[in-house]
Amino acid sequence: MRRLALIFSLIAAPLWAQVQGVELDDPVALPAFHLENDRGETFDRDTLTGHWTLVMFGFLSCPDVCPFTLGNLEAAVTETSMRVRPDNVPQVVFVSVDPARDAETVSDYARYFHPDFRGFTGARDQIDTLIEATDSFYRLMKPDASGYYEVQHSASVSVIAPDGTLRAKLQPPFDPGATAEFLARLQIAYRRSLNQ
Amino acid sequence: MTRFLAFLFTLAMPLTASAGDLSVTGAVVPLAPPGVMAHAAYFNLTNDGAETRRLIGVRAEGYAMAHLHRSEEMADVATMTAVDAIDIAPGQSIVFKPGGLHVMLMHPAAMQAEGDTVLLTLKFANGETLPVQVPVTRLRHGS
Repeated sequence: MRRLALIFSLIAAPLWAQVQGVELDDPVALPAFHLENDRGETFDRDTLTGHWTLVMFGFLSCPDVCPFTLGNLEAAVTETSMRVRPDNVPQVVFVSVDPARDAETVSDYARYFHPDFRGFTGARDQIDTLIEATDSFYRLMKPDASGYYEVQHSASVSVIAPDGTLRAKLQPPFDPGATAEFLARLQIAYRRSLNQ
Repeated sequence: MTRFLAFLFTLAMPLTASAGDLSVTGAVVPLAPPGVMAHAAYFNLTNDGAETRRLIGVRAEGYAMAHLHRSEEMADVATMTAVDAIDIAPGQSIVFKPGGLHVMLMHPAAMQAEGDTVLLTLKFANGETLPVQVPVTRLRHGS
């Protein structure tokens, strides 16, 4: 039996490794929120409708995880664009939970990874509204002697459908091909649910 | 032909460095996005000697500070912790890569451009140091 379990785990492990997202059992409606950036653009509940959106929370001084995730999302969205109609290619939004340091540069930061990526931040209560609505998390850590502080934040990325509801979470390591496949399947399931 | 080989050698130079039994390969500093006060360096560090070596720190020219760091994801929360020391057993390679061990480069004196190099100096418990010229490269992600 143990050997059987071992064989099963060997077969199943690569499949588990390919899990790039989790679809929510029920779509979650989002409350009103208002974020903005240094280019005068706004990101609120109304700007979610009519297209797919991927929302990632992070901070600009994040040396490792945030640039890697955004780089992977860029590749994943490129892969997705080969699988779905142009108007179904997701808009990627980076939300900084660290407005004190990031408000001036959050837009350029997001555009560095792709010219169509958008970066926003805003008032603490507005960030918290979106964090809570997407079941996400962040925490500003204690500053060190130089005043630098780190930020813990959710690793997963929220997937919001064209009706403005939260539908799924993408999870690390954000393999571009597998993530694109997950998003394409999610879109098919979404269209089916609308036609029922 | 000699010139071509010399050219290849020049290309390969920044990517490898060794001091005695320790060697670094695949070193890279991904080009940093604008406006950041911290970014990262990655490499593989191999110990071909007969004794365990202990990496205890790193210096980076052009940065106020550099730390050995580890990213971890626990229950969907991305966290970072400082790493005081890393033991490298005989024959072992330690991999610094995105989402795991990395050198955190803090407060750059100037923004790096693609093609620049960052001089890292790895510090070991026995007092030895290993200088590595790390190329700044725009990373391409893909499946």
